[in-house]
Amino acid sequence: MTLTKKDVRKFLSEYKIVALLIVIAIIWAFFGYLTYDSELGGSQFLTPRNFSNLLRQMAITGMLASAMVFVIVAGEIDLSVGSLLGLLGGIAAVLDVTYSWPLWATIVLVIAMGLFFGLMVGWLTAYLGIPSFIVTLGGQLAFRGMVLGLTGGITIAPVSPDLKFIGQGYLPELIGDAGGVLLFLVLVFLALRTRMNRQKHNLSVSTMPAEVGRLLFAGVIILGFVMTLNDYQGVPVPVLVLLVILAVFTIVGNKTTFGRHIYAVGSNMEATRLSGVNVAYVKMMVFALMGLMCAFAGLTTTARLAAGTPSAGFGNELDAIASCFIGGTSMRGGVGSVSGALVGAVIMASLDNGMSMMGIDTFWQQIVKGVILVAAVYMDIVSSGNQRG
Amino acid sequence: MSDYLLEMHDITKDFNGVKAIDGIHLQVRRGECVGLCGENGAGKSTLMKVLSAVYPYGTWSGQILWEGKELKARNIRETEEAGIVIIHQELMMVPHLTVAENIFLGSEPRNMAGFIDYDLMNAQAEKLMARLKMSDINVALPVYNYSGGKQQLVEIAKALNKNAKLLILDEPTSALTTAETKTLLNLIKEFKANGMACVYISHKLEEVAEIADTVTVIRDGTHIGTQPMAELDTNKIITMMVGREMKNLFPRETHAIGDVVFEAKNISCWDVTNRERKVVDNVSFELRKGEILGVAGLVGAGRTELACKLFGCWNGDHEGKIFLEGQEISVRAPRDAVRLGICMVPEDRKRHGIVPLMGVGYNITMSVLKRYTTGGFIQSEAELAEIQNQIIRMKVKTAEPLLPIASLSGGNQQKAVVAKMLLPEPKVLILDEPTRGIDVGAKYEIYKLIFELAKQGVAVLMISSEMPEVLGISDRVLVMGEGKLRGNYVNEGLTQEKVLAAAIGQPTTEAA
Repeated sequence: MTLTKKDVRKFLSEYKIVALLIVIAIIWAFFGYLTYDSELGGSQFLTPRNFSNLLRQMAITGMLASAMVFVIVAGEIDLSVGSLLGLLGGIAAVLDVTYSWPLWATIVLVIAMGLFFGLMVGWLTAYLGIPSFIVTLGGQLAFRGMVLGLTGGITIAPVSPDLKFIGQGYLPELIGDAGGVLLFLVLVFLALRTRMNRQKHNLSVSTMPAEVGRLLFAGVIILGFVMTLNDYQGVPVPVLVLLVILAVFTIVGNKTTFGRHIYAVGSNMEATRLSGVNVAYVKMMVFALMGLMCAFAGLTTTARLAAGTPSAGFGNELDAIASCFIGGTSMRGGVGSVSGALVGAVIMASLDNGMSMMGIDTFWQQIVKGVILVAAVYMDIVSSGNQRG
Repeated sequence: MSDYLLEMHDITKDFNGVKAIDGIHLQVRRGECVGLCGENGAGKSTLMKVLSAVYPYGTWSGQILWEGKELKARNIRETEEAGIVIIHQELMMVPHLTVAENIFLGSEPRNMAGFIDYDLMNAQAEKLMARLKMSDINVALPVYNYSGGKQQLVEIAKALNKNAKLLILDEPTSALTTAETKTLLNLIKEFKANGMACVYISHKLEEVAEIADTVTVIRDGTHIGTQPMAELDTNKIITMMVGREMKNLFPRETHAIGDVVFEAKNISCWDVTNRERKVVDNVSFELRKGEILGVAGLVGAGRTELACKLFGCWNGDHEGKIFLEGQEISVRAPRDAVRLGICMVPEDRKRHGIVPLMGVGYNITMSVLKRYTTGGFIQSEAELAEIQNQIIRMKVKTAEPLLPIASLSGGNQQKAVVAKMLLPEPKVLILDEPTRGIDVGAKYEIYKLIFELAKQGVAVLMISSEMPEVLGISDRVLVMGEGKLRGNYVNEGLTQEKVLAAAIGQPTTEAA
């Protein structure tokens, strides 16, 4: 059998994530080769330390992108997340530094504020019918203004060690290992349960060797991931948080009515409404989730910088949106996945990290990222056969 | 020079081997108005698209002679240059441009510097409006300031500006009030007197009778007859339009009819944009358990609007009371209706029925997804099992249960949409044009399903523009026309002529 262009196209559109992983492999190989230095004992890009750095760098964009996927899938956009992140991070810094609140209280309040602002944006969009582009453009300005008012335009530091741990800490090796094992066991359990349920409902199941093979493959990936990070300092806390978000959001997207409705609303809102779904509520809750992720990202940013700064999160919304589109989310709504968006975020972070390491000027970095974004979306259009004209 | 301005001979147009029109003739003299009549789907629009070169020369067979010479137009621009201008049923106005800008769209007069010469444009637009006796219209105001009827006249001004010799009007009055209709008809009479020819397509036969000199009737894509209006009356036209045998397409089964389960009282709806215009006018009816109630009427009779109101999705103003099992209910959104046991299969499958990118199965379970969840999580296996049941029950032909529904044929999409609306186990099922655009086999299966549901005691309200379908399926038939309930007949010895006459507003016998 010969592979035709059509076969390749079909494969790529069905296994979009595979194509993206190949792109990552190419980028890493490229930077690995360019940063090779025999005096320093090998490639500087492909080291456990840099891998750990790269993941920490992408964690904040990744948190935003995880929820941004749902916003875009629902057919909306959120331009206010960078400013909201800055505001929530600023609130966290003020509570921690100025008022010396305990960490748990700070976290609870910041999360509550995030949900509040998210719900507000969602209500304005879904119930009052103001286009989300406008609402969140206004939000971008207003939230940034609030940050400046709150901080008085100066950096608020130093934050408590507890808060710092959220952004800069690492898990002890033992806990990292235990987490990896636990994750593997959960995967095995889920696979077996799905098998049993499918058999109960007389649905077809894959063969046992295929199942075992898949699980072993997942096991190797988990093992490699944890061992590489332990080789440096352990699993960074923000990366752990991001992985938990990935798991939770993937379940929300695939296994809950809410998730199903998000995709339906984005693909055809009228038909969804006529099926008896409360579409306005679905849209509002998508923005609430976005607000929640802004709280997580805000806390992480403040912890990572060990300070609240007036410019925190500036431009982050664009990184998050770009990650979604690189990761295969459709501009027209209805299509996209959290895992794809996170892979998109890894691609963006790899480009940033690799180019910085090579000492390339910032202006070049921006030009390259812009070109990659447009090229990635074009590839997506070509592979799904949606060309115009 | 030939006696005729336009002669169309033996026009045949097929789509993938299915003949939409077959050997049709149409002749128009200068200064003559030809009425073109036929039921929905008879082929009127196809014929006009051939004439205006929406279907270019070569994609159909036959001959068109224009002013005695053969016309081989490849696009609309060429036919417009020749002087054939078509005014479509839906208005083609750009609402935020001014009246003058709309009239001159694409042919704007320009000054020396190449900019639009607004003074000249507005002056010419005013002259045109004066010819239409519409001097009260301010041509410099955006067109959305004016009612549908006035916009229709702006559309005609646009045609005049193109030096139309033949004006084709496709259902021009379907969105107009009575007074606006009168103005339009008077105008057409004047044009005729000045030598302009016109083809008038309308379901409103009294309008045809008023202005047409000759009437051509087509049915199922074939030419039934052409006669001078003087030899005809509306009843004769109706007979020509429907005169077809009823084939035994309908798997009729007897079913018991129970008590009144649903009641609509004094339902009125107003148009969304033209808020003065009533689209449903004080309609009341009852629906019994196990009864199949057909709703007949011509396009624009207000049937879909009525269904939307009952299902809670009418966006314009509305009033009236709805009772389910004797209790007054409030249906503010479709989800209220579904929860109470009223489901609707919408008319426009693509826009309102399917979620195109989602799998067939997920489309089916969308209305009752909560049933397959525990603790907020979807039990995928339980859901998949139900999906497979439904796919088998409804005979949906799909390679995989989760294939995107957009990749299925229209009939299979429709079966999935029907399945979606049956899963909530409705007491009342509204079907709006359930067999539109689907093949005969799928139609037959939907008919069988309707009878099966009636047997189970579901009350079915079926809107259909296909007269044989209404008469073949229904226990009782409501007839609507211009938003009003024009007839309520038990389907015993009911004829197409009687229904059509009521729809047009000329009950041949007493309306029940």
